[in-house]
Parts: sequence; C-alpha cells; structure tokens
Amino acid sequence: MNTSSMPSDSELVRRARKGDEIAFGMLVQRYQRPAYAVALSVTGRHEDAEDAAQESFLVALDRLDECRSPERFGGWLMTIVRNRSKNLVRRESLRETDELPPGARSRMPTPDRTAEAAELREMLRQALSELPEVQRQVVLLHDLEGWKHREIAERLDLPCGTVRSHLHFARKALRAALERVPGMPERMRVAQ
Amino acid sequence: MIRRIHDLDELEEIGADAEISRALAALDPVSRDPNYWLRFRWWVISAAAPELARRRRGVSLTIGDVVESWARALVPTAALVAALAGLLLLRSESAADWPPIGVEEVLLSEVEGNQIPIDVASLSFAAEIF
Repeated sequence: MNTSSMPSDSELVRRARKGDEIAFGMLVQRYQRPAYAVALSVTGRHEDAEDAAQESFLVALDRLDECRSPERFGGWLMTIVRNRSKNLVRRESLRETDELPPGARSRMPTPDRTAEAAELREMLRQALSELPEVQRQVVLLHDLEGWKHREIAERLDLPCGTVRSHLHFARKALRAALERVPGMPERMRVAQ
Repeated sequence: MIRRIHDLDELEEIGADAEISRALAALDPVSRDPNYWLRFRWWVISAAAPELARRRRGVSLTIGDVVESWARALVPTAALVAALAGLLLLRSESAADWPPIGVEEVLLSEVEGNQIPIDVASLSFAAEIF
C-alpha cells in the first residue's frame, strides 16, 4: 500500500497531530475505502457503514495522541471502525426491535440506477450477512478493496494463515449463496 | 526445512477471485456515485476542521507564544528578585560593619565584648557647663 514516494503512516500521523489538514486528508484518502468495508461488514447497511466510517476518522483525530504506534495507524483505525460500527448496530437494534427480519434490513434511500443493480446488492448483502463478521471483513478487504492478505492480517491483528482460511471459507460460502439465486451466476459475470 | 515450507505457504498470496470481486463491486458506493469518495473525504475534513485548527493553535503556542508569555512574566519577576536580593545584600553588609548599639546601652551598661568608647567617657553635657 505504501510506496517509497508516498509519506508513511507515521509521518502523516505526526503531521496530523500538529493540525496539518493535508496530512489528515491523505490518511482519510488512504483508509476511507477499507474503513467503509470494515464498517459495512459489521453493519450490513450502506448508510450505517458511511456514518460509522466517517465518525471513526473524527474519533481517530480526537484520540490521535493515544495512537502509540503511528506506523500501525491502519490497524488502530480499523479497531475504532469496528467498535463504532458495533455501537451503531447496537443502538439501531434497540430502536428497530420489531421491524424487518435479519438479512432483509436494507434501507436504501439512494435511488438506484437499475433495479438489477439494487437486486444484486441486496443479494450480496444477504449472502454476506450469513457469514461470520470476520469473514465478511476479510472478503470485503481482499476482494473489494484489493488488500493483500498480509495487510489484512496486520491491520485486523490476525495470523496470516487465519486470514487465508477466512478468505477461502468466505468465498466458498459467498459463491454457494449466490449460486442459489436464480440467474445470479450469469449476472455476476456481466456485473460491472 | 519444514519451517521454510510453512513460511512459503504463509507468504503465498491467494489470487483475486474475479467473479466475486465483480459481484462485490456492486457494494462499492462508487457504483452509484462516481464522486462518492471525494464527498466522503470532504465531509470528514470539514467536520475535522475545528479539531485540526485547535491542534495548529496548540503547536504555535508551544513555539512562540508560550516562550514569549514566559519571558513576559519571567523578566520582571527576575528583575524584582534581583533588586530585592541586592537590597538584602547591602543591608546585611552595613549591619555587619555597624552593629546597632543604643546610646542608653552605651551610657548605662557595658556592652558585652565592647569597650565604652574613649570619646564617650569625656563627654560633658550642656547642663554641667552652664
């Protein structure tokens, strides 16, 4: 992820601690997608994932002085994202106790371009909701965000072998779930 | 050898699953809004602006303002302390040269370790002359 031409996480954290807006913006740019993916894996909803990911960056900035290993900012941030997302889900579940059944909790106010895309998203959400949380995180970070399993291991604080194992089982379950949906295999191939 | 094989196995990257990646791409907010991540970042940075400004103020205080404010308080205090110290030093020196002895003490009783000055013995009062 970090190349030699780009400032390291620790350098950006050091500058952000002094209020450098550009450095903080670079940290946000670097981690916004994985933060969203982790939040989505916990909340299962776009709006909640967005809220949790955005709030997590603000919490991280407030507590930046508590980040003892700035070179491991990514892992530290992901912990905040997971905790914020879990808190958000807990609050939501207290509010919506007798609404939709699990797996059909989606609320998508954003207009979709096509009904098929919305349907695919819904199918994916259902399939992902059947996976354990850690498997959702691993498969989203790997297959959606393009992280290497070593990066995932480092940032989720898991052994490399465990990440690979989670990825294997998550894919298997995801594929099986999607195969059950009529017409889904073909749609997966033509999906953008 | 076994350890080596294990390490290689750990390092081996599982390749991307193109079909799953394509399917999961539907969950990427960009699939609905091409400027999504730009807006996301803008929102975060806007919301973070007060905290970033506070941190900048904190940094400038430690460098300039704090030193200046220290100097502002420190210089007059140091000058006052120096003046007081000088005054005390002068007073203690003068006290050592001229120990305070009252006239009554000189006239009526012996001061321990001091002889009555010869000039005092030959003092005559105005009442005796007239």
